[in-house]
Amino acid sequence: MNFKEELKKKYFVIMSFIICLICPVPVLAGVPLDTVKGHADKVLDVLRDPALKAESAKKTKKEKIRAISENMFDFAELSKRTLANNWKKLNPEQQKEFISLYTSLLEDAYANKILAYRDEKITFTKEVPLSAKTVEVRSTVLRKTTEIPIYYRVIMRDGSWRVYDVVIEGVSLINNYRTQFKEILADKPSESLLETLRKKVGKS
Amino acid sequence: MKNARILLVSLLLLLGLASTLPAAEVLPVPEAAVQSPGVEAAGNEQVTTLKLQEETSPDAGTAEVQSPVDESIDNGEIAGDEGPGISDPLAPLNKAMFTVNDKLYFWVLKPVAQGYAYVPEDFRIVFSNIYDNLWAPSRILNNLLQLRLKGAGNELVRFVLNSVVGIAGCGDAARDAFGINKQEADFGQTLGHYGIGHGFYLVLPVFGPSSLRDGVGLIGDQLMYPLTYVGSSHLTLEQKAEIAAHEKVNDTSFRIGDYESFKESAIDPYIAMRDAFVQHRKKKVDESKH
Repeated sequence: MNFKEELKKKYFVIMSFIICLICPVPVLAGVPLDTVKGHADKVLDVLRDPALKAESAKKTKKEKIRAISENMFDFAELSKRTLANNWKKLNPEQQKEFISLYTSLLEDAYANKILAYRDEKITFTKEVPLSAKTVEVRSTVLRKTTEIPIYYRVIMRDGSWRVYDVVIEGVSLINNYRTQFKEILADKPSESLLETLRKKVGKS
Repeated sequence: MKNARILLVSLLLLLGLASTLPAAEVLPVPEAAVQSPGVEAAGNEQVTTLKLQEETSPDAGTAEVQSPVDESIDNGEIAGDEGPGISDPLAPLNKAMFTVNDKLYFWVLKPVAQGYAYVPEDFRIVFSNIYDNLWAPSRILNNLLQLRLKGAGNELVRFVLNSVVGIAGCGDAARDAFGINKQEADFGQTLGHYGIGHGFYLVLPVFGPSSLRDGVGLIGDQLMYPLTYVGSSHLTLEQKAEIAAHEKVNDTSFRIGDYESFKESAIDPYIAMRDAFVQHRKKKVDESKH
């Protein structure tokens, strides 16, 4: 009897160990998707908020979106990936300013893009691993006559998943900006890129 | 002895093949690998062939050893140099046409579509379905040409179902009742499927961003469009143009604001549009190879 009980105990311990090993896996697999979905939902909530629809509420709306996107995106990563080899041409101070300017540009761009879809149904479909640390979270915007695929590429940074690229219908946001920045940097100094950005951000 | 060596070599080759195959097959996003190659591409294979490489490949983990900064710079460096591009020898002409299209949108298409949007949405959706159904033959043929038999079959079933059950395509019965989704395919994509490049960038009046290849593709699609073959005794050229215009306005009525938000976010709208076109078409061609 004693032996039987001991066996039972052992069995229990082993089983719980195995369960502990197995269980976190499916839970972890959904984290990137849930993270992105959570942020995107929050942004949509702000955009859909009837109290914020008025033109006068534009500033509050922007601030709210800024607060969400700070947790949603990895702006340093975004900046580096966008400028690629041109990144090293900027001095640390310029890099810092670039990140801050590019951040507001991207926040506006993202809000603009998602704003166009605010009345549509957005479903998050699946996640596809891109590398050991990067995952692509896929979502679809169901429009009345078409479907628009929006993919968020996320990277593990400081214990949370951060977006480093948004790909809409195959068009990567950072690749698109890279091409535009490259055109400016091809024949002008880094300073003029910052100047262009200052103007663009200040205007909108 | 010699046989054994041959066997060993072929076995190694097979193993090598096997370790690359899953990456090619399972990988649903080839564009991801191509758009930002380098570490990420390696990472892709790493994940998909994890089982094969786990013990055999000692350098499977090198990507992770690098600091995040290096990783992204290295990533970007490659992507920055080899990102999909397009030659644009007609840039001055294209830029002029881009401006024309821009004005055409803001001065004509948008106001007309906005006025037209007072037509109840349900009616506009019906029109959209009818027009879409008319393009089904082109999708069937192009899916066939791209050897996407499932896509061609789906489109054929959709065409028959929607034409009959959906009454000339008024409704999308195939999707709503049978869950058969549309499988886009066009002739420019078919040409790309067989390795034909863009040639050069072209901004077409009304149609917008295109290329030599995709321009030819538009002509090809037009030849697969049923109304092209309706004789002038039934539909005059003028009436056909009116139908095409209505299709454009109807379509635009669903996407007012898209172009505005695109322009708002762009630093240089011309370059941004050209790059978006290249990236988007690249994805389409990549998809046709699955």
